[in-house]
Amino acid sequence: MNLRQAFKIAIKSIAAKKGRSALTMLGIIIGLSAVIILVSFAKGQNKWLEDYYASMVDNSISIQAWKYDGTDVSEKLYSYCQTLDEYVKGVTPVGNYWRSLKVTYGAKTLSDMNTDWESMPQLYFGNQQYGLCMGYTIAKGRDLTYIDIENLNHVCVIGSKTASVLFNYADPIGETIVINEVPMTVVGVYAETDPNNYSGKDLVILAPYTVTRDFGRVEIEQYQMVAKDAASAPMAVTLVKGYLKGLIGDNGYYYVQNESQWIDQSNEQNLMQQMFLGGIAAISLLVGGIGIMNIMLVTVTERTREIGIRKAIGAERKSIIAQFLIEACLICGIGGIIGIAIGYLGTAIVCQLVLKFISWPSMTVTLGSFAFSVAMGVIFGLYPAVKASGLQPVEALRAD
Amino acid sequence: MLIDVKNLYKIYNEGKENEVRALDGIDLQIDRGEFVAIIGASGSGKSTLMNVLGLLDIPTYGEYHLDGTDVTTLTDKQQAHMRNKQIGFIFQGYNLIPALSAAENVELPLIYQGMGIDNREVRVEEALQKVAMFDRADHKPAEMSGGQQQRVAIARAIAPHPPIIMADEPTGALDSKTGRHVLEILHTLHQEMGTTVILITHDNSIAATAERVVRISDGKIIYDGDKEGAGL
Repeated sequence: MNLRQAFKIAIKSIAAKKGRSALTMLGIIIGLSAVIILVSFAKGQNKWLEDYYASMVDNSISIQAWKYDGTDVSEKLYSYCQTLDEYVKGVTPVGNYWRSLKVTYGAKTLSDMNTDWESMPQLYFGNQQYGLCMGYTIAKGRDLTYIDIENLNHVCVIGSKTASVLFNYADPIGETIVINEVPMTVVGVYAETDPNNYSGKDLVILAPYTVTRDFGRVEIEQYQMVAKDAASAPMAVTLVKGYLKGLIGDNGYYYVQNESQWIDQSNEQNLMQQMFLGGIAAISLLVGGIGIMNIMLVTVTERTREIGIRKAIGAERKSIIAQFLIEACLICGIGGIIGIAIGYLGTAIVCQLVLKFISWPSMTVTLGSFAFSVAMGVIFGLYPAVKASGLQPVEALRAD
Repeated sequence: MLIDVKNLYKIYNEGKENEVRALDGIDLQIDRGEFVAIIGASGSGKSTLMNVLGLLDIPTYGEYHLDGTDVTTLTDKQQAHMRNKQIGFIFQGYNLIPALSAAENVELPLIYQGMGIDNREVRVEEALQKVAMFDRADHKPAEMSGGQQQRVAIARAIAPHPPIIMADEPTGALDSKTGRHVLEILHTLHQEMGTTVILITHDNSIAATAERVVRISDGKIIYDGDKEGAGL
């Protein structure tokens, strides 16, 4: 009896026991695809978080400060921050206009009444370094200038999404828009920073912080700084904290936060999450493996009888082992390939739906879990053959 | 001499309190072309004898020459070849592989022999024709009656053209009419092909169709001769 015949017998045996073959395959398919999807999704989620944090401005420092008695500290804070040029590249006041906004260009008016939040621009106030501190670059026209700030010019720079919402494809530079009855000339457009518009960062209008009084009372309580490099950021944070402690102390609130601290936190989170999902993957692999083992072992009695019959009609021990080995390899191999296919498909679907990009499984995960499932199947598929083929035929026939 | 057995013992739990001598010093010679019935009460050791004669089990002691070969010295592999080429088995419980069709069951010993597909097809058809089961070639065992399954089992036994057929209570699970039909097939084989048939039964009326009757009791042969002498 040669290999070809062993193959023939094994294929016949698989085809003849479609139900059991399918169940065994199912065990492998579920175990394998679950592991692949889980691990890839976890990897994708990590990447999403990393990208998200990386999209935030590096070395940026947020400062908030006020006194309980209402004394304005912003002038002093701003002046102090401007003296830190050894560590700091730029500093800007940040004012956000929270009240309802109406923006008109020509016949087009956007307001909270007729526009949903996904296309309603937000009005911010800052200085000529606002773009630098917030991670914008100019795509068209120019940024705010020192002169604009000093002269209280009614000019603004708009985000790319604001430009498309208000002007469609027309050129906004030099056009006048009316914001809450105040005419403002558009002098520049920022480049796109967030193609999916998750943050609304491109849906902004930036005006000089010195014109806030034209829009009613807008408190400037927040400042944004950008440090020269990663090493300077903690130094700047320490200095500003020290200054605010002296200025405000217990008579108010102040907060100085470096964004890189967020990134450190998220790395730790990632590690935890990776370990957690690795654990889930290991458990699903184990459960899948036990499933495969059960299906294989449940049929030991039936298969022992079959082996007895085969021995009685003249099968050699090695033919029987060859048959069972080929059978197990075929079932597990086919199941494994289907499992990988479903795993990849599931990964694509889940990632696309949740993350909006596809994080493909790594080769290590794919091959590792494939090897584990197939090994489980082959070991437990071969077990009855090894055990029963060594018996006297009469003993194997007696199995029940 | 086709089968030559001397002083054959099969002892379970030897030397212990619960020692059982299933075969207790058997001497038996069977010639080519004989039709022998081995009879005895249940537990007499007749099935054990068939298992040992058919190389399905190993004796504890004794000599066994099959067609001149001392089978007690054969390797596992050689024994498998011997079972495959020399002996066709028919069991009381049919022992067909449930997942395979009638034709595939019959084909199996031929595959293990290494026979080519063309020859196998001829042999399978021939064997199934002989037991009038060719029209059921594609049926699975579960789709057949007991008598039909036993006929397929006979076809499987005869497909490799073995010189010996060993049948252990082949009619035991069948009604008497079906049983007689199965018995007729064995007799036809014996007459047409000169196959040696060893038939194990506890049924005297079936044993009475044999030329020679061997009666076993407590692992010993207590009668060996023609059926008249056995009182059948």
